[in-house]
This record gives sequence, C-alpha cells and structure tokens, in this order.
Amino acid sequence: MPSAPSKLYADDVSLLVVTLDTNPFFWSTFSVSFSDFLSQVLAFLNSILLLSQLNQLVVIATGCNSCGYVYDSASSKNHAPPTASMPALYSNLLHNLEQFVARDQKLSKPDHDTQGIVPASLLSGALSMALCYIQRAFRSGSMHPQPRILCLQGSADGPEQYVAIMNAIFSAQRSTVPIDSCYIGSNNSAFLQQASYITGGIYYKPPQLDGLFQYLSTVFATDLHSRAFLRLPKSLGVDFRASCFCHKQTIDMGYVCSVCLSIFCERHDKCSTCGSVFGQAKQDVTSANSKKRKA
Amino acid sequence: MSSGQVIKRAKYKTTVKDPGTPGVIKLTGEKFVFRPNDPTSHNKLEVDFRLIKSHKNTKEGSNKPPWLNLTHSQGSYIFELESFSDLHVCRDLVGVALSKHGEAAKVISEEQLSPAEMTLRIKLLQEDSKLQKLHKELVASGKLTESEFWATKKKLLDRDESRKLKQRIGYKNSLIFDTKPTSDGRINQVKFQLTPEIKYQIFALKPAVHQAFLKFVPSKMSEVDFWNKYFKAEYLHSTKNAVAAAAEAAEDEDLAVFLKDDEILEVESRKKVRRVDPTLDMEADEGDDYTHLPDHGLFRDGSKEISGAQNTLYQRTLLQDLNRQGAVVLEGKTLDMEMEPPRTVAEALARRKQGESDGAVEEERRNRISKMTQIEDLQAQNDHHFAPLCIKDPREYFDSQQANAVKTLNDSQGGSVKIRCSLSSEEAYGCLRASISNIKAIGLRDPLFSHEVAVKVLNGLTKNISSTKYHLGKNSQDSVLDILPNATKEKLLDHWVSSQELLRHFWSSYPITTQNLASKTKRLKDAMSQVYSKLEEIKISAQSDLRHQVSLVVHPMQQALDAALLHYEADIKKRNAKGPKPNGYV
Amino acid sequence: MPEVRIIAKNFMDMVASMPAMKLDKLYENGFICEAILRSLPPLAKKYVLQQLHIDVPVAAKQLEEWVLPDGFSKHRVAIDRLVQLRVFVEAVDRKNEKTYKVTPTFQRSLQKLLVHGGTLPREPMASNITVRLPTLEDLEAWALEQWECFLLQLISSSQVEKPSNISSSLMKVFQRRLLSQRDRDAPKLTESGFQFLLMNTNAQLWYIIREYISNSEERGVDAADLISFMLEISFHVIGEAYNVNTLTNFQRNIIKDLADLGLVKLQQGRKESWFIPTKLATNLSVSLADSSSRKEGFVVVETNFRVYAYSTSKLHCEILRLFSRVEYQLPNLIVGAITKESLYNAFDNGITAEQIISFLQQNAHPRVAQRAPSVPENVTDQIRLWESDLNRVEMTESYYYDEFPSRDIFEGACDCAREWNGLLWEDSKKMHMVVKTEVHPYVRDYLRRQK
Repeated sequence: MPSAPSKLYADDVSLLVVTLDTNPFFWSTFSVSFSDFLSQVLAFLNSILLLSQLNQLVVIATGCNSCGYVYDSASSKNHAPPTASMPALYSNLLHNLEQFVARDQKLSKPDHDTQGIVPASLLSGALSMALCYIQRAFRSGSMHPQPRILCLQGSADGPEQYVAIMNAIFSAQRSTVPIDSCYIGSNNSAFLQQASYITGGIYYKPPQLDGLFQYLSTVFATDLHSRAFLRLPKSLGVDFRASCFCHKQTIDMGYVCSVCLSIFCERHDKCSTCGSVFGQAKQDVTSANSKKRKA
Repeated sequence: MSSGQVIKRAKYKTTVKDPGTPGVIKLTGEKFVFRPNDPTSHNKLEVDFRLIKSHKNTKEGSNKPPWLNLTHSQGSYIFELESFSDLHVCRDLVGVALSKHGEAAKVISEEQLSPAEMTLRIKLLQEDSKLQKLHKELVASGKLTESEFWATKKKLLDRDESRKLKQRIGYKNSLIFDTKPTSDGRINQVKFQLTPEIKYQIFALKPAVHQAFLKFVPSKMSEVDFWNKYFKAEYLHSTKNAVAAAAEAAEDEDLAVFLKDDEILEVESRKKVRRVDPTLDMEADEGDDYTHLPDHGLFRDGSKEISGAQNTLYQRTLLQDLNRQGAVVLEGKTLDMEMEPPRTVAEALARRKQGESDGAVEEERRNRISKMTQIEDLQAQNDHHFAPLCIKDPREYFDSQQANAVKTLNDSQGGSVKIRCSLSSEEAYGCLRASISNIKAIGLRDPLFSHEVAVKVLNGLTKNISSTKYHLGKNSQDSVLDILPNATKEKLLDHWVSSQELLRHFWSSYPITTQNLASKTKRLKDAMSQVYSKLEEIKISAQSDLRHQVSLVVHPMQQALDAALLHYEADIKKRNAKGPKPNGYV
Repeated sequence: MPEVRIIAKNFMDMVASMPAMKLDKLYENGFICEAILRSLPPLAKKYVLQQLHIDVPVAAKQLEEWVLPDGFSKHRVAIDRLVQLRVFVEAVDRKNEKTYKVTPTFQRSLQKLLVHGGTLPREPMASNITVRLPTLEDLEAWALEQWECFLLQLISSSQVEKPSNISSSLMKVFQRRLLSQRDRDAPKLTESGFQFLLMNTNAQLWYIIREYISNSEERGVDAADLISFMLEISFHVIGEAYNVNTLTNFQRNIIKDLADLGLVKLQQGRKESWFIPTKLATNLSVSLADSSSRKEGFVVVETNFRVYAYSTSKLHCEILRLFSRVEYQLPNLIVGAITKESLYNAFDNGITAEQIISFLQQNAHPRVAQRAPSVPENVTDQIRLWESDLNRVEMTESYYYDEFPSRDIFEGACDCAREWNGLLWEDSKKMHMVVKTEVHPYVRDYLRRQK
C-alpha cells in the first residue's frame, strides 16, 4: 500500500468511492439477479485497482435501513481469510457485505410491513459517508489522489431524502467532487440526474444490463484527467423537480418560503423550517379572522 | 364618520404669530379651501392635498389653541379651529387624504433619481445585454415601471456601488509645523497665513490643540487670539529653550496647553504600543520616544540639548513630529475640505474620531494580529479550496429541464410507478444473502460476459456519442433544444426569461394591500397573457415535425402562467365580493 | 522527476523491442500484463479496459469518435504506445480501414487476472516456520543501507567497509558507463557517472536493472525470463517470506544478486531458506507507472548558499561534495556551502546546473519542500549564471592566413572562404584572415590556383 509521506501523484491516480445499492426489496423484484450484477461490479472494481497501484477504492453499501463501508483498499484490515480462487478484494468485500446485510436486516423493524412497496435505499447517507471519506483524504495533506464518487443505484428515489441529498450534492460540488451515476432501475432517478448535473459527473442509464461491465469500464472507469480529452455520454435532460418538505412528495409547482426557501406543496401559515409567519393572502383573511374569534 | 367633506370655522394664520384671518375651511378628499369671512381679504386658499407634505396639530390638554398645521414645500398653512373636536375631525380627514396622495407622491418621487443612480443603471444595462433586452421588453412597453424593475435587482445595484471606492484627496506630506511666518520687516511682529486646510491639518496632527480649540473658542477667547497663542507656543518650541518655555507656561496656563506634550497623543501612543503584534512586542513601552536613552534626543533642527528632567515635559522631538505627521498622512483625510468655519471643522473632526476609534480600528487590529500571530513558516500549508457554490445560468437550467420534458414523453413512462414487492423482508434479505454467498462460493463467471454483448454495448455507446455529436452540433454540450430552429429557440428563451421575470413580480405583489399593487398586478396580468398568446403562436407556427416537441417545451411555461392568471382571477373575484375591508387592504 | 520516466520508458522500450514471440510469452504472465498496463498513459489504459472483452477488431474511427479535438495528440500517443508494446494489434479491414484488437494472450491473461486475481507462483511461508522476520521499518532501513553500500562500492570501491558479494565482473558491468579508468590511476567518475549519482533511487535502480538485463545475454540468460522474474518479484508482498525452493535454479542465481542490491533480503532458517521482498523491489513496478513514491528529502538550502543536509549517509556526503564545499560533518548533519569553485569543479566533471538544481529540489527537506520554490531563487539563478559563465567562449578550429602577395588575391581568398561560409575573421588593412578548418582545403586550392 502506498505509504510514502509525500506522494507525487500522476494525473490519473484516482480515489473512487462507490456506493452500492443493496436494497433487498429492489433486488428481489428486479429482472437482473444481484449476483450477476455484483460479479460484474466486482470485476470493474478490481480493474480500477489494476490501472494504477496508487488508485484507491472505497465501497459503501447502501441498504434501506443503514449504510456502511464494505471495502477500503487503503485499510490494512483484512477480515476474510484469503482464498486461493479469488482475489483478496473480492473475498474481503463479500465478507463485509454479508455482515452488512445481516446488520441491515436486524435494523429493520420486525413488525414493519412494507405493504408490498419497495422502500428507498439510503442514498443520502451513502453520499454523506462518501463525502466524509473524501474530506479526510483532502485533509490528510496536500497530496492525494483525485476523488470521485460513483453511485450504482437501482431502487427508486426516496422523496423524503430530498433535502439531505441536495445538501450532499451541493457540498460535493463545493469541494469539486464529481458524482457519477450509473442507474439501473426502470425509470430515471431525478436525484442522481441532479447530482451528476450539478457536480459535473456523468449520469448514464445502461440499456443492456448483461453488459454492465462494459458500460462501467468504458464510461465510468475514465479518470478525471482523461475526461478532458474524451467525449462521454451526456444524459439529455435533468429532472429538476423538488420534493416538498411537508409530505415529501415530488412536485411540479408549490409554495416556497421567502425566508429560507423551503418548499411546500400546500399553503401554510408558518414555515415549518424557519418559523417565519407568512403574510396573509387576501382569500385567507376570513378564515384567519374566524380562527382568531374562536381563540 | 368620514363623510368625505368637512366644513369648519377656522382662523388662517400665515405665521405662528399672525393673529389670523377668520373664515371657513372646507376639506374634501382632494383639496382644502379656505374662504375668509372678509371677502376682500387676500388670504383666500385653495390647495390640493398633493402639495401637502405632512400635517401636525396641537395636543388636547396642552395650553395651546387647537391648531392644524399643514406643511408644504415652502412653508405651512396654520389653521386655528374653534375646538379640539373640530380639530380631530379635520385631522382625520387630512390623514386619509394625505395617505392616499402620499402613495402616488412616493411613486413620483422614486422616479426622481440621482444622476449617479441613473448612470449606474445605464451602465449595468450596457454591460449585460440579456438584462438590457429584458429591460427593453418589460419597461419600455410599460409592463413594469422602472422602479419596479430595479426593485428586484437591488443586489446588482448594491454590488456596483460598493465596488466604486472614491479616491479621496489626502494630506500633503509636508510638515505643517513649519508654517513659515511672513514678516514685513518694519515692526517686531510676524504674520501667519492660515488657510482652513492648514487649520484642519493642525487639528488632525495635534489632538490637544484641537480639544483646546473646542473648549476655548469662542467662549473664552476669539479665534484670532487662539491662533496667536498657538503660534507663540510654536515659536517657543522652535527656540529650543525648554527653560524659557517652562517659564512661559507657568505664567499663562492657556499657553501651557500648547507647550505641554500632547496628552491625547501620549494616550494614543500608549494604546498603539498595546496594539503591537504580540510577536513583535518586546516591551516597546517607550513607544516612539527614545529620549530616555542618551544620544537619542534628536531635537528639531538637529541640535541637542540636555536639559533638566523637570523640563522634559516641554521638549518635543523631531522624531515624534515626523512620526505623527506620517501617521496622519497615512490615515488620510476623510472629510471634504469645504467646511469653512474652523469651529465646524473642529467638530466634524471630533465626531469622526469618535466614530472610528472603537469599532473599525479595533476590528482591523484584531484581524491584523490574528494574521500576524501565525508565522507563515511554521504553519502547514492550508490549500484546501472550495469551489463557489454554483447556481446555474437560468438559460442553461431551462435548457436541461425542457430537454427532460421531451425525453420523458418519448419514454412514455412518465410518473413514478411504485414497484410492488410481494416478498416479506425476511425473504428479501434471504434472497440477497443467497446471491452474495453464491458468488462467494463459485467466484466470478469466466468469461464475465459474452463477447457479443461487449461489442454490442460498445457500438451502442459509440453511436450515442456520435449521435450527440452530429445531431446536436459540434459541441457535445448541446441539448435537445438545439434541434429547434435558431430563431424559435431564441424566441423561446426570451419568452421564458421575461415570463420568469413577470411571474416573480406578480407573485411578490401579493397580498395586495395598496391600490398601487392592484394596478401593478393588472398590468402584469395583461403582459402575461400577451406572453401566453405569443407562446401559443410559436406553438402553431412551428413546423409540423417539430410541433410536438415545441409544445412540450412550451407546456411548463404556459402552466406556470396559467397558475398565475387563475390566481389573479380568483383574487379579483374575492376582493369584489367582500364588503368590509380589513385594515390595510384596499 | 523526468529521469525515472525516461529510464523506465527505456525499460519499456526494451520490452517493446523484443520479438513478438518473446512478447507473447511474456504476456502469458498476468503480472507482466499488469505492470505493462500500469506503465501506459491514462488514455491507453482506458482503451485496454474497454476492449478487454471484445474479441473482434475495433475500427480506429470508432475509437476516434470518443476523442475531443483537444485530446487527439494524446489519443495518438496512447495508440502508438499500445501498438509498440503489441498490446494492440493493428490491422486493416476489408474497407481498408485501420482496426485495433487486443493481443489475445494479453487479453486472456488480464481477463484471468480480473476474475481470479493474480496468483503468484509461490505462497508466503507460514509464520511458524519463519522466525525473526524483520519489521517493515527494519526491512526498509536494511534495503536502503544495502543500496547505498552498493552505490558507494560502485563509485569508489575503496571506501566500503563491508563489500557486498556482487561479483567483480558484474560490478564492472555496472561501472562500465559510470567510471573511467586511465592506466593506473584510481577510477574516475564519468559524466554519466555524476549524473547517475544525482538521480533519485528509483531512477538509479532502473538504470542498474537495465544494465543488468542488457548484460544478461552475455551471461547466457534469457532477457525475457529475467524481465518476467523481475516484474514478478515486484508483485510480491513486502515483508512476507517466500521459500527459495520455489525458485528455479536460474532464478536462485538472480535472487542473490538482487539481495546484494537490497531488493530482497535472504534469510536462512533451520531447514529452509527464504527471501523477503523489500520496498525497493515493489517500487519497481510502481515507478514504471509514475514517478510517485519518493523518499523524504534531507537538504535545506539557504539564501546565503549554505547547504544543510540532515543525513548520516556517507553517500550523501559524497554526492554533496560533487558540487559543494563540505565544511563540517556532524553525526547527523552535513554542512556545506555552494561556492563558485565547487560548482566549477562540478561543471568540469560534466554535471549540469539543471542537474544540481533538480537534485537540491528533489531532495529538499520536508520543511522546505512545501515552500515554492524549495530552493531559494537567488541560489538557483546563481548556479545557472555560473554555468553560463563557462560558455562565453566557443572554440572553433581554424587556420590563419597572412602575407598575401596582393590585395586581389587576399580579397579573392576572402570571397572564397565566404562562399563556403567559413570566414571567421579578416583584417583587410594588414591582409590577415582566419577560416574554419573545414574550409581550409578549398581556400588552399584557391590560392594554389592563383599562383
């Protein structure tokens, strides 16, 4: 592992933080099995490490109850015993992933019934963890590999995470960390579209999932240095719709607090975020008056 | 109670001392008329309320008669009414009338801008062609007034104002102490030529003289006497005779003020010493003054004189003078030179001193210290930069968003359909774990996937890349909007920008509390319906193969406008329907 | 650090110049493929990865679709390198268009590496057999000491206290271009010898390895085998013990040499013996890709031309002595001064100002390394100025003519020399002239003809 105190990195050395969707409900309903998906992703992760000895790789599992680091190429802790047939990366990652899934399952409330609706993965948590890790790399010294985040996401957006995700996106943009998104679900993910659009990453929805490795290695393996010289797929259009803060629904049109810019799908007398009292529009005067009288 | 017209008996007074002309005052919503009882009197009045700036009245219970005072630009009309109850009636009516006119008046006055403001706006418009276009479209056509337009662009104006720092004239860097006297040679007398500038500089240099001036002039002595004393003291200094100076000072206590070391300066220099950066502060208590060391008594004109310790009070070194001069010059002149009377000069200076002494200076000092205490060499390099938060260009945002509208329809899978999952959480997790252990057991498939798929994917991706390259222009940054003919695209973008501006104004004028806002919303509504119909036109005029896409692009804009128009109609209806209006609503 | 690049690239060129048969044989080894992949320019890496699973030729046009106008030169470089190293096979398809395809052997090896991981031909030994394994720090210190000892022996054999057992013949090979020996004199460092000393460790290592490999044929060793073994060693885990019995005879010979260089440490147990790769060995493949890891610097240069080197190494002292006047030596500190005389001495030995400056910059103490410039500008400028001082006079061999019989002949000779572009100087009053040696025969012929 690279441990030289002052490292002089070549242009293409990268720190890749991958968030891996491990939402069991999504995978049980999805057309591609998780093992097919995972094996292609593992090969991709290995190829990233193959490209340069200094490349660094972190994998974060995104469950629906928790998130967790499942692999860090810089860490010296190898939990799994090395097996002959498999690179250490695979056995470590799989071992940690198994543990993570077990933990995630324990966290799910036993009486909680999903009612057949696939819950969203905790993308916001995974993004935050990724950004924290990258911040640590930034602070470790003036020399560090170029960081980027890759979201491998399948389950649908959770509108309730809107604020947290947008905050993560903006802090990524502030620290010039691009967020790439490879979205394999059926519809486009508005969150990831916005994330890649705002941070200057690539959003791509591979149409043919049995060739996932090909997409990953052709598009997402491109280091930030080479991106300046290459034409990469550009997603046409971004879904900019926001979620309202009150019911966490994606809305086209709504009310915005003039003080803190919170978004609401219906009229409120008071902003639930910052507490500003909104001016009474004309039509509400009677009702407001009647309330006062009662009080 | 406001019947719209009030007629009362009153006396009209041109001044407070005027006994007044008895007559009848008639007040309406628009104007007031005073008819004197004596028809021959000239004090007939008929004045529009528009010209009245404000109104005052005497309080009930005070020993003054019930007066109503209406101020206009040149003076005021004073009416003495017969009773306070009459006064109240009149006052209420005047109040209502004035508030009504006040608004109109305010609008007018807003239009009267300072030329500086005007040039700033013109400059901004010239710099930003998009803004200029918008301005032309909205303001020139009367959809928005000038002031309304700029009200939402205050930030632009502010930024510009803060940017231009006027360069001020500083002090001359010549020693003012050496104001050379002119002598006519005949009598034993010298004359000093004092300009306001020199006086001002003396005050700045010598706070003690300044204070003395404020204290003595003109209560104790005249200005001429003051300056005579001052220059006498200066003369004594220049003789370098500390003993003589001490003697003179003992005789004339006023003179002593000038001869003694400037106390204020001393206090300041002590303060300065405390301000010295901690890294450099090596007990620099003696400050600028090295006279306590032998051979450091550098006196004016270079000659040295070691004199008795009791007289050191009256010594002044050239070094001190030079330092003080340098400090004052660096501080700069913050007042304009126009104040002629020295008294005002002195006062203005005093005010300024007070203002800056604590706040700004303290702040700056702290900043400086915090910067200096970190010695560069010892600190780790902190070069972790942040990119500025990027708020996208509205046009670009529109671009991406509209392209999206096109795409979702092509997808034909609009809306978010929740995928149903029939499995319980137990089963789902089990499934996932099975997949993982599956890989763990058998490893990755080899080969990972078929070569045919790989080729297909690569070809597909390459096609994607080259299609964006050829269909959307040379630039890969182009989007679907670029499919549209250039003219249409430009028109759409313009309409979008102006409709956004109109919508912003429209929504910000709710709730409607004044007549003015009501008329503004009406104007905006008209403008918006114009844009609406223009969008409709674009939709119809588009080529048949593009019509579908144009309509998709236009749709969200029309939606937003629709919502605004609907709100307007509903609001109008409600306002018309309601009888009594709550306070503050028109 | 351009030298590493150049020398490492030279190494890759050496690989590239091997016949296709041998290359294919090399590419059967997954580690070599990995090392080669890492040595490629960024764009080339991407191309290999995206064509890893494609077994049909891909049109050059298709690749170019992806390249932005700014990137075309980089694209060309990447493709050229791939073709040179035979990672890509260039062909022309039916439509007479260029196509590229990954060499099947390379492709298969890399695919296997991805799926199954690289399996070293040998496993680390169990810890119950190996005893008293050195810690990583000890190992690194040992390796550096060994390397310095070797270098010292290389440049001045007399100074070494405990000579390594590198055969003198091999030592001669290494010294071939670094030292020159005239008759009975003590061997003197040549120009490239001085330059070698100023390089960083990785570059020096690569230089030695290259010499070692290029010399292998003379010793009857196959260069391909040697390269493949070297690269293989570099993928072993630092600090783990590997049984020497797993090596072939040929490799066992090599491993002894490598131990002398500090690349591996050999240890002897009761029954078994094993080798432990050091950082120097693993750095071999890293520095192929980029000039990354470098050791901590130790030199502080002050604006008053004083040089402080926090080092206990004799070698460092020797190197500093090349261009500075060493004033005193403390247990952990060498203090010297850069003087005009010391620099002239260095320039005489063929060291350039740029080399000295880059040595000072590369080995800057961490405290000053963070600053820009790490070496004071007045010092670097002065070093350059002193160097350019030496270049004020240019020597040209020439012939001097005088005593012309007539002015006509003198002027004719001048014209003749001018025509040949060889007239250096003329004095028409005294009728003297100087011409370049090359032009002398023509002028002489001209003068003969005039007679």
